[in-house]
Amino acid sequence: MKQNNNGVNVIGIPRAISYYNNYPFYFGFFKGLGLEVLISDRTTTKLINEGSNYVVSDTCLPIKVFVGHVINLLEKGCNTIFIPSLQSTAYKVNNCTKIRGLPEIIRNVINKPFKMIEPTLDKTNNISFKDFCYDTAHQLDIFDENKIEIAIQYGWSIYNNFQQMALAEIPFEEALKNAIENKIVSKPIEVVKPLSVVIMAHGYNLFDERISMNLIKKLEKMGVKAYTGLNVSKQNAINSIQELGEIQYWANELDLTGAAAYYMLNNKVDGIIALSAFGCGPDSLMVDEIQYHASEKGFPMIHLTIDEHTGEAGFVTRIEAFIDMLIRRKRKKLKNNNIKILPSSKKEQITKKEDKTVSFV
Amino acid sequence: MNELKQREEQKNRFFQKDNTIATKDRVVAWPRMGNIDLSMNALVSSLGVRIVEAPPNTNEALEIGVKNSIEGICLPYKLNLANYIMALEKGANTLMMFQAPGSCRFGNYTKMAQKTLKKMGYKFDMVVFDMYQSKMKQTLQAFWHVTRCANPYRYYKGFSTGFNKAFAIDTAERLLFYTRPRELNKGDAERCYKKWYKIIAETTSIWGCKQLKKQIIKDFKKIPIDKDKIVPKVYLLGEFFVLLDPYTNKEIEKTLGDLGVEVERQIFFSDWLEHVLQPSFLYKKESHRERCVRFAEKYMKRAIGGETIETIGDTVFAAKNGVDGVIHIMPFSCMPEIVSQNILTKVSKEEDIPVMSLVLDEQTGKAGYQTRIEAFIDLVKRKKMKQNLNNKK
Repeated sequence: MKQNNNGVNVIGIPRAISYYNNYPFYFGFFKGLGLEVLISDRTTTKLINEGSNYVVSDTCLPIKVFVGHVINLLEKGCNTIFIPSLQSTAYKVNNCTKIRGLPEIIRNVINKPFKMIEPTLDKTNNISFKDFCYDTAHQLDIFDENKIEIAIQYGWSIYNNFQQMALAEIPFEEALKNAIENKIVSKPIEVVKPLSVVIMAHGYNLFDERISMNLIKKLEKMGVKAYTGLNVSKQNAINSIQELGEIQYWANELDLTGAAAYYMLNNKVDGIIALSAFGCGPDSLMVDEIQYHASEKGFPMIHLTIDEHTGEAGFVTRIEAFIDMLIRRKRKKLKNNNIKILPSSKKEQITKKEDKTVSFV
Repeated sequence: MNELKQREEQKNRFFQKDNTIATKDRVVAWPRMGNIDLSMNALVSSLGVRIVEAPPNTNEALEIGVKNSIEGICLPYKLNLANYIMALEKGANTLMMFQAPGSCRFGNYTKMAQKTLKKMGYKFDMVVFDMYQSKMKQTLQAFWHVTRCANPYRYYKGFSTGFNKAFAIDTAERLLFYTRPRELNKGDAERCYKKWYKIIAETTSIWGCKQLKKQIIKDFKKIPIDKDKIVPKVYLLGEFFVLLDPYTNKEIEKTLGDLGVEVERQIFFSDWLEHVLQPSFLYKKESHRERCVRFAEKYMKRAIGGETIETIGDTVFAAKNGVDGVIHIMPFSCMPEIVSQNILTKVSKEEDIPVMSLVLDEQTGKAGYQTRIEAFIDLVKRKKMKQNLNNKK
């Protein structure tokens, strides 16, 4: 096992897949066990290309990215890597096969010597989250029960802080940073934006700035408030799915259908943006499900598909067209209700143009 | 147990059973998958309900399926949906299907089909039963709901004839794979198989069905074959539906047989049925799945849904039993088989067995497909020849 300068063991966590949902817990848990956590670098095009070299071409983008991150950790000299297999998170609520088989893929695809920590979480077969944690510790040769219990509690406390900040609509990166420093920050005062949308996407697609091409920030620049699956509590998401009359089938369905259903049923947004990787099995069903209900309730929706070759220009054009449509729709709606408001983004554009002309003259 | 009940309640709410259709008006339809309709016909008709067969899978059927389903879904669903639509047009009003949640997208097929068909304006009753815990109870409940048949003898007759027909047709298929590359007069085996297919479909008595298997074996033995011919053996592995459905896999067994290759398929409908419907304490020998788990141990430590572990286990089994090559077929964007494809690369290298993966979708042309198979078979044959030479020396 690699050790840092102080002689503390180092465990590597790839910045992909379950990192975006569970990292606060993992961080607290491993800190509690007395290990140092090393995360891989941010996703880059080079990293994706490196990952694609190892797997067959039909594999989806997130898995290619994951393989790239594992390679990155190995290059950094880390030889103990945490790769969990999250089989099911509730009775008969399973994950996508590729996420379930992550350790199997990595073991057979990368032919380099390293130790893989591969616990299984499978609630269908009575392997609870506690077993999952104990399994992890045992694979790291830690058998002290007290220490493990304390580590689990520490993990939860950090995770809860993160959750609290995420529910208060603090951006992902900021919430994660503060949670790891064991801090809670309150929500900054925001200017109310004229438009709001909900993005239904897996955390590992949406919060990875390379994969999603900074979608949230792009929307913010256009004057659109973007809600994500992190802003909805688990219970609300489950209830919303039931209210729509659907059955939860996928483990990560709460981030997608749950969030979209919640905002749709509460009429909090003007439109829905679905972001999914090309060839994603679960997404193809979930997006279709929401599309069906959205068309019934009259919500505009756009489905953006990404893969490693997606050009940014075409991507932006599609978002802009969608947002333009939302603005027009909203204006018409307000006009019908005799309220006169110009969207702030348009206002800014107009004033800027006037300034230019004045200075030019 | 509580969770199981909750889940069942949710399911029942989604698939609300329609009690307004009288039993005598019911016309049952079942999606096609290989020779499944032989057994289903026997079972449902012995329970006293009419059954309508969906037309066989063809290009037209696929076109209907593609038109009405979403973009990203896999090929089997498109064909299933087409079967439903064509059966409904033919007058069916009760659609039956089993499902197995937790494997892959397959567990969602019925849910989506029901929604799509209702949107299209059809009126029907969808009866679904799960293939996990309490499977026997659910199966019987579903058939009771459809047929209202309380006569235990009829159930016995239906299940018995259905099972035996499935065994018989699979035996015939196995013998066909063995005989086709060795036969002296080309076409004998094929003719024999087609003859027995008809006979199996027409047999109705319990005793007659029980005798079928023996008679088939006897009849196939009569075909003149070249016993000393050296025939390379190839395993056919992959996704369940694609393996069983001759339209989807473009009759790959026939193509291979005509090239002089013996095909062996590990997945048969009857084996699967026997494994799934039997309670676990009645298993007599090591089931196929258990064997696969044992052989795949070096590469996989856990089952991850779908047929991944079967594919890997069988490949290792093939390598250890002197099989010359493995052809792995799967529909486009099939999640579990993509994982197997990734793992197979390493298995092929370490166990020293040639593996070829074929991805099928609605646009696969048969010509390009044939070229790849021929090239692969050439490779397998040359390897076999080299081995024989070395043995002689």
